[in-house]
Amino acid sequence: MIVRILTEGQFNLPGAHIDELNDIDNKLVDVVAEGDEAGFKNLLAKMMDLVRNNSTEVPVDELVESDLVLPEPDITLSEAAEMFVGEGLVPD
Amino acid sequence: MGMLSRMGVIVKSKVNRIMDNAEDPRETLEYSYEKQREMLKNVKRGVVEMVTAKRQLEAQASKAQANLAKLDSQARQALGAGREDLARLALERKQTTITELEGLDEQIANMEIEQEKLTHAEQRLQAKVQAFKTQKEVIKAQYSAAQAQVRIGSALSGLSEEMGDITLAVERAETKTETLKAKAGAIDELVATGVLDDPTGGDPLDRELKAISASSTVDDELAALMAELPPGKESLPEGKS
Repeated sequence: MIVRILTEGQFNLPGAHIDELNDIDNKLVDVVAEGDEAGFKNLLAKMMDLVRNNSTEVPVDELVESDLVLPEPDITLSEAAEMFVGEGLVPD
Repeated sequence: MGMLSRMGVIVKSKVNRIMDNAEDPRETLEYSYEKQREMLKNVKRGVVEMVTAKRQLEAQASKAQANLAKLDSQARQALGAGREDLARLALERKQTTITELEGLDEQIANMEIEQEKLTHAEQRLQAKVQAFKTQKEVIKAQYSAAQAQVRIGSALSGLSEEMGDITLAVERAETKTETLKAKAGAIDELVATGVLDDPTGGDPLDRELKAISASSTVDDELAALMAELPPGKESLPEGKS
């Protein structure tokens, strides 16, 4: 599974980790809704580590589309919240 | 909808916008390639701007550093002359300068991180553009409508995603640099208004200390006689320099 961390690059992550990733993703939605800054940073770091530590980097000269896109590691809670506010209003 | 699927939708919609413009796939290839080169140029310029901004901050930091030493010796000088009030003033300014210097150091460190990210983005894009160029020529040579369309599609969407990502990386780095520069500009203003330093030498602290210095060196004997009086005021001719 090809996973992109925005502003960082692409990683080849074994499919076995998808459940764990989904789990963190769901929790992220909750902390964003609650406005829990510390929880957000914590989960985001966990998500990045999961990808970075269990994958191989996709070679730079390979052109492939990602199956999953992770936000940039330095995204703030308010930026993430904005992303969710946009949902539904603009059917992109 | 979780965060990941949301991100995926955002990125894919960007890719689709590029793909939708395609009539002849070969034109799309050339168009994309031009876009990529343009972008690479922008990224390179971004790196240069970042380096310049960092140098400016470093210059400010070394100015502040020099100012520290100056304020320190001014404080000693003032105290030596029995002017505790001036010594206190100098030490107060030293504290302000130390605080500003810490802020500057932190900004420089942040900028180094951004510069690294941007340089990384540049290298990544460079490699991607090279890979795309190779693929583009292969696809064009083998062009037979239906099949090529699929291959162009996958190469292009992979690359478009990469371009979108690098654009984001560059934008973020630039926004951060702007913020850091604005902060540095605020410090510059403090310097200009004389809160931190006075490059013209017209600062009252400077003037008074020069006056003290003059009175003590030019006329030691007189200074000794005047030990019980507030020193310096009588030596205005030299003190004005």
